[in-house]
Amino acid sequence: MPARIPSRPGAAPTPLGAALRTLAVVLVVTGALCLGAVLLVPESVRTPLAWSGGTCAVLLSAAVATAVYQERLARHYRERIGTIKTEAERLANVTMPALVAQLRDGASVDTALGRTDLPAIAAHQRIVRTLAEEVGRGERMRAAAMSACANAAGRVQALATGMLADLREMENRHGEEVLGDLLKLDHTTAQAGRLADSIAVLTGARSGRRWNKPIAMESILRGAMGRISAYRRIQLHSSSDVAIAGHAAEGIMHALAEIMDNAASFSPPSSPVHVYVEEAQAGVVVSVEDSGLVMGEAALQRAQETVSADTLDLMSLSGTRLGLAVVGCLARKHGLNVSFRPSARGGTGVVVLIPQQLVTETRSAAEQPVAAPIAGAPRSVVPAPRRTPEAAPEELPAARPQPRQTPRETPRETPRAADRSGTPADAPAPLPRRTARSGGGTGADAAPAPEFGESGLPKRRRGQTLAAAPMGTEPVRDDARPARSRAESAARFRAFRQAVQGKPAPDGADGPRTSGTPASPPAPSPARPEDETR
Amino acid sequence: MKRLGPDDDPDRLYTVTGGRSRSADDHALDLVTLIVSESDPSAGMQSEHARILTTCRRPTAVVEISAELRMPVSVVRILLSDLLDRGQVTARHPRVPATAQLPDADLLKEVLDALHRL
Repeated sequence: MPARIPSRPGAAPTPLGAALRTLAVVLVVTGALCLGAVLLVPESVRTPLAWSGGTCAVLLSAAVATAVYQERLARHYRERIGTIKTEAERLANVTMPALVAQLRDGASVDTALGRTDLPAIAAHQRIVRTLAEEVGRGERMRAAAMSACANAAGRVQALATGMLADLREMENRHGEEVLGDLLKLDHTTAQAGRLADSIAVLTGARSGRRWNKPIAMESILRGAMGRISAYRRIQLHSSSDVAIAGHAAEGIMHALAEIMDNAASFSPPSSPVHVYVEEAQAGVVVSVEDSGLVMGEAALQRAQETVSADTLDLMSLSGTRLGLAVVGCLARKHGLNVSFRPSARGGTGVVVLIPQQLVTETRSAAEQPVAAPIAGAPRSVVPAPRRTPEAAPEELPAARPQPRQTPRETPRETPRAADRSGTPADAPAPLPRRTARSGGGTGADAAPAPEFGESGLPKRRRGQTLAAAPMGTEPVRDDARPARSRAESAARFRAFRQAVQGKPAPDGADGPRTSGTPASPPAPSPARPEDETR
Repeated sequence: MKRLGPDDDPDRLYTVTGGRSRSADDHALDLVTLIVSESDPSAGMQSEHARILTTCRRPTAVVEISAELRMPVSVVRILLSDLLDRGQVTARHPRVPATAQLPDADLLKEVLDALHRL
């Protein structure tokens, strides 16, 4: 027996040993007593006394030994039961939770089993192994399903984003007659994009887009309402000019879109949904109030729990109502504080607190006062590098983009020329398309702020030229042009041609004739100053 | 397929126009109609309206406003018709002299030929 419990060498002796020892002791004691009694009594009763005494002693010894044996056995089993109970409690309270936690964190079954100290009892070991395998399989299935969903959502996001960009370009390019249809498509695509974003958020993938600049509150709200079907019912009441940091802008827009969508779908189709923005000490408070159904106390409580839970519980997703779970995920990610309350308008009000660290100054707001006199400047960002001195050595590459710039420069001349010569009004028609496309096409000059001012060069004001033209205040220009001799013009134009074609032009008599084109695109650097004289 | 640049704005045009795709027909706004603002931007105003009012402190053509706002002309017309309805801007149509006409096609062709011969 001691061999079976090697871990407890100093423990109590086995029941059998104790019983035998007791038996021996009791036998000795009772035997001695019997012997004494036999010796003390008279001769006549000695034999029966010896017999009966001996029998009694044996019986007593047997009884005592049996009692001791049973008692020891009971104690032994009690101890074993205690041990097993402790083991079971440890299994339930420590081992299994640790194992499941490891498996949930993505450890493989073998790794997790290796890191856990397995219970000593074989049956417990089997339980642990079976459970670990089951949980591990479930985790793998969940992870595979999640990543498949995340992947698919990401691709739909990319498609939607690309399509939105294309639609925007088409809206710029095409006229009024198709604008309505394009806007409808744009709206549908934006909603599809939101759905893909929702799935991406729930599956833990990154959100669809990143903004590299702070997004003004108005754009945030409009971006949010643009993603829901009933955007016409949203009424914005915001005079705030704060902006949201670019990295959080997409998430906040998405969360607000889900909240607005909830508000719009749970209120009568004709009633407006009001969105208020106010700046508070702790951040910016956005409240979305509808005048629809009043949520009951329990429903408010449930909604509150959904958006403020610590982790996303996938079991709480009901298939059709993803909105609040998405809001909850985004609120956790960005530290938003979302609370529900009955609205004074009779419906439900949702208050979203955007923490102060996500709130920044809008770039355009800072420059708003400056922007007034120089409102046209920002679009000159692209040609700007060419004016820098180090552009000189690489004259040929610098000249190469010129043809592309030509359409950008020429239309500015066109309206003035048209006005002077009294051209019919549709002559400058290509102008908006070109400017708009060049704006939407290159992301580089899409910044609304006039960064161009850093170079210290004077800025022209867009529209000044056209505005001044009919009033005839253009003497500078007219004086400046003849100041350039014909030969000089020819030389410049030849240089431009060489740069474009990459070969020297024959020195022919064509030169002087070219001077008849005053709107010729300026050659690399010497012509640029004329921009500033305008 | 083109990707949205990081510097684009999240505004979609239908949220800018409130879902309208056509301006009211009673304002005949040409591409070169000059717009002059009659009041200053006020708080709580839609930012495009405010920018139009700021831009049009000096007379500015519709097409220039469109380039300034980086929005299609048709959208700018809708925004302008809002402002015109509220009397915050006025429109001036450009003077077109009666004698105005394009240089005739032959001359333009001659110029083009000369350019080709360069």
